[in-house]
Amino acid sequence: MNTNNMVAMILAGGRGSRLFDLTKTEAKPAVHFGGKYRIIDFTLSNCANSNISTVGVLLQYESVLLSSYVSNSSYWGLDMKGGGVYALSPREKDESNLSVYKGTADAITQNIDFLDNAEAEYVLILSGDHIYKMNYEKMLEAHISANAEATIAVMEVPKKEASRFGIMNCDENDQIIEFEEKPANPKSNLASMGVYIFNYKTLRRFLKEDEKNHDSSHDFGKDIIPAFLANNLKLLAYRFKGYWKDVGTVESLWEANMDLLDDNSKLDLFDPNWKIYTGDTLAGPQLIGSKAKIDNAYITQGCVVDGEIKHSVLFTNSVVQEGAKIVDSVLMNDVKVGKNVRLYKCIVVDGVKIPDGMTFGSKNSKEVLLVTKKLVSEVE
Amino acid sequence: MTKALGIINIEPFYVKVEGIEDFRPISASSILGRYRVIDFVLSNMTNSGIYNIDLQVKNRPRSTIQHISRTNYNINTKKGNIRILYGEKPVVNEIYNTDIAALASNMEFFDESNAPYVIMAPSHFIYVQNFRKMLDYHIKSGNDITALYQNVNSAQEAFLMCDTFDIDKNKRIKVMNKNLGKHKHEKISLETYIMSKDLFKKLVNEAKGVSSIYSFSDILADNLDSLKVGSYCHNGYAACLSTLKAYYKASMDIKREKELHKMINDDWPIYTVTNDTCPTLYAPGSKINNSIVGNGCVIEGTVQNCVIGRNVIIKKGAVVKDSVIMPDTFINKNVKIEKCVVDRLAIITHIKELKGTAEDPLYIGRGDRI
Repeated sequence: MNTNNMVAMILAGGRGSRLFDLTKTEAKPAVHFGGKYRIIDFTLSNCANSNISTVGVLLQYESVLLSSYVSNSSYWGLDMKGGGVYALSPREKDESNLSVYKGTADAITQNIDFLDNAEAEYVLILSGDHIYKMNYEKMLEAHISANAEATIAVMEVPKKEASRFGIMNCDENDQIIEFEEKPANPKSNLASMGVYIFNYKTLRRFLKEDEKNHDSSHDFGKDIIPAFLANNLKLLAYRFKGYWKDVGTVESLWEANMDLLDDNSKLDLFDPNWKIYTGDTLAGPQLIGSKAKIDNAYITQGCVVDGEIKHSVLFTNSVVQEGAKIVDSVLMNDVKVGKNVRLYKCIVVDGVKIPDGMTFGSKNSKEVLLVTKKLVSEVE
Repeated sequence: MTKALGIINIEPFYVKVEGIEDFRPISASSILGRYRVIDFVLSNMTNSGIYNIDLQVKNRPRSTIQHISRTNYNINTKKGNIRILYGEKPVVNEIYNTDIAALASNMEFFDESNAPYVIMAPSHFIYVQNFRKMLDYHIKSGNDITALYQNVNSAQEAFLMCDTFDIDKNKRIKVMNKNLGKHKHEKISLETYIMSKDLFKKLVNEAKGVSSIYSFSDILADNLDSLKVGSYCHNGYAACLSTLKAYYKASMDIKREKELHKMINDDWPIYTVTNDTCPTLYAPGSKINNSIVGNGCVIEGTVQNCVIGRNVIIKKGAVVKDSVIMPDTFINKNVKIEKCVVDRLAIITHIKELKGTAEDPLYIGRGDRI
């Protein structure tokens, strides 16, 4: 297989504190999504499908589970000789003491030796907590043919939301002339997706400079990209069309799951040409019982359903007993729902058992309720 | 690690699964939505700590070879191995194609293993059995051979032509017969034997000397007086997939929740090959109950009392009842299917009604367009 000389570095160290209990003991990229996946499966599968052979995953917050998970390179077919998935946590080095990753750019700076060893010509910087399908190889082609020093993937967002993003102001050739982080009055609606390709040699030089600058926050958006622009280097905006979602909040995680039920959704997980790979479970086939009523659902291996499911997503090994009614909800892995339970617009956290007869959420609720062990025991 | 070499036998003469076997042996065919039949015996072995397994194949081995690799069955990648052994001699007539002929031609490979015991199991049965427990019993009992059997009360319609055992009060097998469907109750052989490797080799050689069409069960029957042949009772579900009807019935039987969870659970996982398919989407307006479903399906129509494989598409208005639908099948709008076994990759679009019976389920061939 043809592989390119681009090394991917996935930033996967964020706390994801707005996901509350879901990220209490595991990092956000490890959170389950869409029945059988973990969020980071999307970026890793994109790398595998884009013929990238070496992937570094930068870990910091609650990294034990995520580190062991991503080390299974074979899950994504990234286990060819000369490549692999490498879990990169902060480490003590000969010339420096142990230090946490101080920012997105610093995480890469601390692993310059890794990139040197991998003989990277191009470096692809990614976030491990976005849900989308993207061909990075095509982006690299655009980067090379434009002769750019850096290429940033952008997508059009609604004007009124633009102030939540890093916004690129471009010329008519999509060359970036200005970058504004969360501008109050955005001049364009091209938002950065946090996907960057750099010529490694140039990036290496800028990272080394940035390392010495004590005023820097060591962040790609705040420091490195502005430095590239200040030096008049060629920065290309690469337009992406399609499904993309940052699942940073309970609401957005719920929405992304609900998108899987939508026939018109641009997130097609059935496409055999761009499969999303994941660690396989040993769960049996899903079992739909004689009392089950299913109207629009996304259900995976190991689920046992005897209740009513309406417009909901069921993750691996979740069980819904007779008489229960689940509406507009997400049941994560190993959730057990007792008899005659009612759930409306909830995300039930992994492993939570809901006793018979309980109700969570309400039909017309605007907000998504995160059903945790603690919440269930309070109601009990 | 259990001190035994696992040998998975080829299917005997009486296995004739109409249709399905035109494309692959029954052992390699899809079952319960996401497995192959052979996953059960292989998982029995690896869950019992047997990490060296020799798998005998005869006709049409492509499907088996594609499916088998040690990483998929939780076999130690350094100390364990699955080998596929092919009885290399061409045979002039199918009756010479016995397990003895296949075993004899691969004898040198069995010698390579230094395990003192052999566990030989069939590839056309479905059951869950801890072979380690059976081996412990074998060693303690002082038997020369221990054979696994099932108390069956449906021997008039199922397990036809399988061996039956008559057992004395010391659990020794005294008489072996073929099940001709005369009696309801029989002790049916599950064609699973434990013995020392030396005895195994001796019996294979002896059988070869007696007759060219001898099978292992024939030579066992000959030796009931001279050897201590003990029995070990299997508890739980067992089926012999020797006909299309038996395959259909086993699919429907195991589909029941209790049976499925007794056979497949965290303590006794059934390993198989991952296909990286996404979960199944049940569209608005679909109706489904009493079924097991593999991943990657899109269900828009009505499904009742079925086993649905991976990546099956059932369009709006289609009604599928009491059927086994193998993976990658497409069932178009308004098609009615009842009591059928639909093989992989079939496309059913123009004919609007297909109907079999429980006694004689209708078989739709692999890749057929109807």
